[in-house]
Amino acid sequence: MKLTALLTRIAAAAVAAAVLAPAFAQAPVKIGYAIARTGPWAAGAQVTQEPNYIMWAEQVNARGGLNVKGVKRKIELIGLDDRSDTETVVRSYEKLMGSDKVDLILPPWSTGANFAMMPLAQKYGYPMLSPTATGRKLLGMKNPYFFALLQQPDLMMDALAEYLVARSAKTAAVVYVDELFGLEQLDGLERALKAKGIQIVEKKSYPLGVKDLQPVLNDIKAKNPDAFIALSYPPDTFLITAQSKAIGFNPKLFYTAVGTAFPVYRDKFGPTAEGVMGLGTWNPRTSPAAKAYFDAHVARWKKEPDRWASAHAWAGLQILEQAVAKAGLDRKVLRDTIANGEFDTIIGKIRFKNGENVSTPGVVSQWQGGEFEVVWPPDRSTSAALYPKQPWK
Amino acid sequence: MGFWLELAATGLITGGIYAVVAIGLNLQYGLMRIMNISHGEFLMLGAYFTWLAHTVLKVNPLVFVPVVAFVLFVLGLVVYRLCFRRIARTSPSVDVIEARSLLVSFGLMFLVQNAAYLAWGADLRGYSFLDQTVEVGSARFTANRLVVFAFALGASLVLIGILRYTLIGKAVRAMMQSPTGAQLVGIDTAVLHPTVFGAGLALAGVAGALLSMVYEISPAMGEPYTVTALIVITLGGLGSTVGALLGGLLLGVVEAFGMHFTSPSLKMLLSYGVFIAVLLARPKGLFAR
Repeated sequence: MKLTALLTRIAAAAVAAAVLAPAFAQAPVKIGYAIARTGPWAAGAQVTQEPNYIMWAEQVNARGGLNVKGVKRKIELIGLDDRSDTETVVRSYEKLMGSDKVDLILPPWSTGANFAMMPLAQKYGYPMLSPTATGRKLLGMKNPYFFALLQQPDLMMDALAEYLVARSAKTAAVVYVDELFGLEQLDGLERALKAKGIQIVEKKSYPLGVKDLQPVLNDIKAKNPDAFIALSYPPDTFLITAQSKAIGFNPKLFYTAVGTAFPVYRDKFGPTAEGVMGLGTWNPRTSPAAKAYFDAHVARWKKEPDRWASAHAWAGLQILEQAVAKAGLDRKVLRDTIANGEFDTIIGKIRFKNGENVSTPGVVSQWQGGEFEVVWPPDRSTSAALYPKQPWK
Repeated sequence: MGFWLELAATGLITGGIYAVVAIGLNLQYGLMRIMNISHGEFLMLGAYFTWLAHTVLKVNPLVFVPVVAFVLFVLGLVVYRLCFRRIARTSPSVDVIEARSLLVSFGLMFLVQNAAYLAWGADLRGYSFLDQTVEVGSARFTANRLVVFAFALGASLVLIGILRYTLIGKAVRAMMQSPTGAQLVGIDTAVLHPTVFGAGLALAGVAGALLSMVYEISPAMGEPYTVTALIVITLGGLGSTVGALLGGLLLGVVEAFGMHFTSPSLKMLLSYGVFIAVLLARPKGLFAR
């Protein structure tokens, strides 16, 4: 064979290899996100959100990869630490979408962080399924790429108000954390209680990271409300519980918000947690799929998922997976698929309307014998409610 | 009456915690001009050691407090040797020590905090200890808060006693007034310097151990305490241990009453309000000589 012919063949083979190679070894799907690994948000983000992202990617890769319209491609997660800093959240997503050009993104932790980076997701056209963002203000921005998985504050607070009416409670006292989350929840709660004719006898705000609320709790105890509702974040949830017990403030209903559903709440307080109510959606008894998720989480992380947003985070990943299988990685088509479809998840079927999850109802949960039981509404409950709350143990 | 007593007492308890953290920082900054911005991180380490000892080895946290103090003291000697000895020796003036140590400890802060994230993760941790209610007069508290207050006050008073009435205390004060003069009269500053720094970290560790009995802990818990401690030592007067104690208590009480009369959301405003008012009236702090 002549040398030139040989070279031509080699060149042809090389070109063919270059063209055909991707078909044999698919490039991974790059999925980027920024989340708090350090700083004050990390405690919540590392319980509820990032462990689910990592476990999901591992499970999908173990199954051969993410199904992109019938082609299996491995997932490559690109996770950045946002240091609990809103500016870093925005900058990180700008980099991921603008210069790294990842295929998909996963959202950051907390209402505030999601609120800050939502406009960027719209600008670059990346759908985001947020498991820890709640508030009418976010949906009010009418961002077509934003999908909120959690129940909105009005739903949760309506459920709470309905429960209170069912128990003939007349008065309530409220404390709330001075963050977008607390303000949004308060707005929902005030409307719900007003509609049901329950009077708010005291209402006080406090800053995140407060170290002592005993003076406030004493004031509230003196007013003797039927219900006490704390729209709190994790560290304050613990503080409020401990100090209420200390001063013997034991209203008929005792409700604390974020953090109540964390396993560490039960582990720290033991029998003291009995009867405390809070924001929740599910527990391992909700469904066989929920139980399977719970067991996988415990096996992978040696710790339990929380009983509220963890399952929403997992549901979001399930929705993303189903939508990508159908629509592929064209993000415009993907967005439309998510917006118009109905998806099977561990917390039941989920459908979105104007970015809002309209399938999951507001619920009230309560610690009973070491499990965070769903006690309201009746058709979702896994146990009957304890009311009035028994004395602190 | 009982209500006001309780309000004042909760303020004093919070203030007592502020005081221990501040006295530790005061030993480093007030006396030695080492601006240790990573002070709170060592508090966090103390809290984690106590939590580990209690949850893994089932050690009573109170028994463990002296152990934490010793471990942090030794760690303080090591940190001083590695990070601050050179600065203290080569800096031409105390102002330069201040600036250089600020930079070094800033790095130290990230190092220690991220080491904690690696070791224990970002999850909130906590345990219940002495959480039963105690009634004093008509006021009610959890037992752990009273214990924390007693320990905090005790540690502060012992330290004040040592600095005031013992020869070592005199030597420390002499060294701070004039390092060269102290050497001339036979004080071994090469030993005393690291010892005082170690004592500062030991106090941070004690504060952390005490806090872990009351609050949940996380690797990010230290920073806010560093900030509060800086306010307290400036309030009380740099280098004045009595000032740090009383400054801490004052801040705690003002916050408690302020929260009752206004809203807890205004807590920062109240703290800084007191801070500014004191600085306007006495620019060098309440107890500066």
